[in-house]
Amino acid sequence: MSDMAASKPQVKVVVAGLTKRFGDVVAVNNVSFEIMENEFFSLLGPSGCGKTTTLRCVAGLESADEGRIEIGGRLVYASAQGINVPANHRSIGMVFQNYAVWPHMSVFDNIAYPLKVAGLRQQEIRNRVERVLAMLAMEGLEDRMPNQLSGGQQQRVALGRALAMNPQVLLLDEPLSNLDAKLREMMRVELKRIQKETGIPILYVTHDQTEALAMSDRIAVMSGGVIHQLGRPEEIYNQPRTPFVLDFIGVVNYIPCRIALSADGGARILLPDGQEAVVGTVAGTAAAAHGAGQLGVRPEDIDLLDPVGAPAGTVKGEVEFRSFLGSTYEYRVRVGELALRVQTGKNVHFREGARVAVRINHGHFLAAETGATGQRAS
Amino acid sequence: MAASHPTTNPVAYGAGRRLFDFRALLLVLSAVFVLYVIGYPLVQVFWRSIVVDGEFSLANYTRVFLTPRNYIALWNSVWTALAATAVATVLGTLAAFVVERTDIPFRSGFRFLFMLPFAIPPLFAAMGWVQLLGPVGLVSRALQSLFDWPAVPWSIYGPGGIIFVLAVTVYPFVFLTVAGALQRMDSSLEEAARTAGVGPFRIMKDITLPLVLPAILGGALLAFVGAIDNFGVPAVLGMRRRFYVLTTRIYEALTIPDIPLATAMSILLVLLAVTALALLRWLEGSSGRYTVVSGKSVRPHIIRLGRARPYVFAATLVVMVVVVIMPLVALVITSLLPYWGAPLDPELLTLRNYERAFAQEGAKRGIVNSLLLAPTAATILVAVGTLISYLNVKGKMRAAAFLDALGTVPYALPGSVIGIAMILAWSNPPLGPSLYGTIWILLMAYLMRYLSYALRSTRATLHQIHDSLEEAAVTAGASTLRVLWDITIPLLKPGMIAGWVLIFMPAFRELTVSVLIWSAGAETLGVWVFLLQDSGFPERASALAVATLPLIVLLYAVAHRMGWGGERARS
Repeated sequence: MSDMAASKPQVKVVVAGLTKRFGDVVAVNNVSFEIMENEFFSLLGPSGCGKTTTLRCVAGLESADEGRIEIGGRLVYASAQGINVPANHRSIGMVFQNYAVWPHMSVFDNIAYPLKVAGLRQQEIRNRVERVLAMLAMEGLEDRMPNQLSGGQQQRVALGRALAMNPQVLLLDEPLSNLDAKLREMMRVELKRIQKETGIPILYVTHDQTEALAMSDRIAVMSGGVIHQLGRPEEIYNQPRTPFVLDFIGVVNYIPCRIALSADGGARILLPDGQEAVVGTVAGTAAAAHGAGQLGVRPEDIDLLDPVGAPAGTVKGEVEFRSFLGSTYEYRVRVGELALRVQTGKNVHFREGARVAVRINHGHFLAAETGATGQRAS
Repeated sequence: MAASHPTTNPVAYGAGRRLFDFRALLLVLSAVFVLYVIGYPLVQVFWRSIVVDGEFSLANYTRVFLTPRNYIALWNSVWTALAATAVATVLGTLAAFVVERTDIPFRSGFRFLFMLPFAIPPLFAAMGWVQLLGPVGLVSRALQSLFDWPAVPWSIYGPGGIIFVLAVTVYPFVFLTVAGALQRMDSSLEEAARTAGVGPFRIMKDITLPLVLPAILGGALLAFVGAIDNFGVPAVLGMRRRFYVLTTRIYEALTIPDIPLATAMSILLVLLAVTALALLRWLEGSSGRYTVVSGKSVRPHIIRLGRARPYVFAATLVVMVVVVIMPLVALVITSLLPYWGAPLDPELLTLRNYERAFAQEGAKRGIVNSLLLAPTAATILVAVGTLISYLNVKGKMRAAAFLDALGTVPYALPGSVIGIAMILAWSNPPLGPSLYGTIWILLMAYLMRYLSYALRSTRATLHQIHDSLEEAAVTAGASTLRVLWDITIPLLKPGMIAGWVLIFMPAFRELTVSVLIWSAGAETLGVWVFLLQDSGFPERASALAVATLPLIVLLYAVAHRMGWGGERARS
C-alpha cells in the first residue's frame, strides 16, 4: 500500500493472445486484457461465448492452447516456454456458480481449508478466519454446517474461502446467478464493498448485463470466443462498437431505413412507410455511407410528444400498449409497420390508442448486411 | 517461488506431470485386478463351452438340446420363472400402490417389511414354506385335523411350490421399482386430472398406472432374472421330485462331474438372463419420454380410503404376514422342535437343535468362513470399485470406463455360471497353485460376482459430487492427492458404505455359487444350511438359519435406513 504506487496503478493480471480449442471448436480466440490492482473487471457475454473458459484458463482449471497469462507479476502460463503452473500454485481465489461449499465441513473448516493447505499455524488460521467472518458479517456461524445455511450465506462462505489466503486475484464465475433478485442486489453491494476493503482485483464472469454495468470498473463483452469491446460501462452502453454489443447490452429497436447524415452529427432517415425523421445524434457513421440499413435505437432514446404542435423531424405514431414499471412507463408505439419500444419518465402520460409524435434522439446505424433484422427486443 | 511446472499433457485440473503418473499407476493396478478376477474366468467359461478336445465344436450345446433331461430343465427354468414373475408382478405392484398411494396406517413399517424378503435367503424361504405347507407342515397338519383330510390336497414339492415360493421371494424387485417410480412421479399430473373432475380410482387407472408401467415392466424383468438365477428354491422343492431346472441340473451335472455339459447349460442360462437385461436396458432407454418421473422429490398424491381404510389395512396386513412373517415364524418353530414332525406342544420345545447344529465342525467353519469372506470381499471390492469409479467419473479416462463395463458384466451372469467359471479358471490356473478345494476360490467367486455392486454405488455417488467441489479445493491450493483425501473420499463415504453393506448382505449367505465350489474345510453358511436340509435335518438347518437371522435383519435395517432404493440387490 505504498503512496508512490498510487500514482500509477499496477497491473495484476495479464492475459495475452489466449486461445483455447475443444476439438474443432475455438472456444477462446486470441483474447487479451489486463486487470489493474483494485479493479473490478467483468467478462460479459451470452452462454457459450468463451467467458467461463477464459476464466478457467486463468484459474488453471483448463489448459490453454496458446498465449500467455501472468498473475501478480508471475508467469503462470506461456505456450511458447511450455510453462503451465497448476491451479493449486497460482495464488488465486475462486467462487463457483453453485458455491461449491464443501457439505462435510463446517463454515469455519471451509474458510480455513486454504490456510490449512498452506501450512499456517493453528492460531494464525483462527485469527484469519475470524477476520474473514467479520468482514462477511458472519460471526457466530462458524460451527454451522452448509446445509444449515441459506443460499446467500453459502455464497458468503464461498467468498470467504476464496479471500482467506489474500489471493492475487479473485475469480468469480456467475456467483450471483443462483440467488433471488433481492439477495442478488444485496450481494452486489457487498462484493463492491469487500473489494474496496481488500483491494484484491476481481475477474468477474456474468451473462447479466445489468450486473456487469452496475459493478464493473471495466467490461469486456465477448461473443464467439473473441472480445468485441473492452471499456468502461458507460462506453459500452453509450458507444457500442459492434452490432453484437449494441444488441446484447440493453434493449434495442431496429428501424430499417435509408439514412443521410447531416453536418451537426445527426441524420435524416426515411422510414419504410415514407415518413422522414430527424435523429439528434448518430453513431456508427462509417456504415452510413451505405445509405440503406438499420438504425438501432434504445427505448430511452425516444421521446413521445403531443402531436399537436409537434416540432419538425418527428414522426406520427399510435400508442398500442402501455405498462407501468414503477419509476418509468414502457410504451409500445406503432409507427407505420414498425412497433417501437419506448421508455419514458412516469410523468409522460398517453392513453392506449392515443396519437403521438415520436422523436428519435439517438441511434446507432448498422449497414444492411451487418445488422440483425426485424424488430428485436431482448 | 516462481516454481513453474511445465507439462505437455495436462489432464483435468491442469495439474502437472506427477498427477498423470499417479493416475496411470492406479489405472494399471485396477486393470490388473479386473482382468484377473473377471476377464480371465469369463474367457475360460465361454471358450470351454465351444471348444471340445482343442477344436471348435458345438457338441456341448447339441447335448443339451438332444437329451430330454437337459432340454426339459431348460424349459422348466423358463416357464417356472415366467409364472413366478407374473405372480410377483401382481403382488409387488399392488403392495407398492397400497403402501405409496393410500393413507393406510404404518406405511413406512409396511415398506420396511415388504422389502425384507430381499435380505432373507431364498433357501430359508423355501425351508419355511416346506415347514408350513409340506406334507407334515404346520399349516397342513392344522387343516388336516380341522377338515379331517387324510392328506392335504396339494404338494409343495414340484413346479407349483417352486413358482409360489419364487414369487414371494422375487416380488420385492417389482415392489422396489414401482414404489420408487410412484415416489418420484410429479403429482401435478394427477392433480390436473383431479381438477378435471376425475375420481381417484379412475386417476389411478388412467394416469398413474400408465405412467409407472415402464417401472412395472422393469421390475418384472429383474424378478425374472432373480427367479431364473435361483438355486435354493428349486433345489429344496424340486430335486426330490426329480423336477429339475437349469440351476439344479447344472449342480447335478457337476456331481458326476460333467463339466462341459454344465458349462454349456450355464451359457444358456446366461443367454436367458442377458435377454431379459437387454430388454430392461431397452425399456429404460425408450421410456425417456416419460420424463415426468424425474429425480426431483415431490409430494405424492395420496388416496384417502375413508371407510375402506380398515379393510384395506387388514387385507394388506394379512398378505404381508403370510408372505413375509409366516415362513420366518415356521423356521423358528421348527428349530425348536425335538424332531421334524413332532406335535406342537410348548413343553416339548427345546434348544437341542442349536447345540447339535453348532457342535458340527462344518457348521462352525461355515459360519466363520462366511463371516470372514463377506467382509473381506466387501472391503476389497469397495476399494477397487471406488478407484475405478474415480478414474472413470472424475479422471474421465476411457480405459477406466472400459474396466467399469467389464466389471459390470457379472451382474448379468447367473450364479451357476460364475461357479463354473471359478472351477474352470482356478482348478488349474496358468500361474500359481490351484485354488480349488480352498477358501480362496470362494473369495474369487464373490469378488467376481459383486464388483458391479461396488461400481454402481460409488459411480452414482461420484456423479453427484459436482466437479466444482474438487476444483474449489484445487484453487484453494490443494494438490490432487490432497483433494482426493480431503474432499472426494469424505463425500464419497455414503456410497462406499452403501456398497459395502450391499455386498456383505448377499455374500454372507451366498448359496448358488458356493454350492458348486465348496469343499470340506471350505464350507459356507449357506452351503451348510443347504446340506443339513438336503440330508434330512430340517430342524437343525432351521436352527442354523434362525441363528443368522438377527445379523441379516440388522444389516437389512441399516441398508433400508440408508435408502437403498434403486439398488438392485440380487438374491
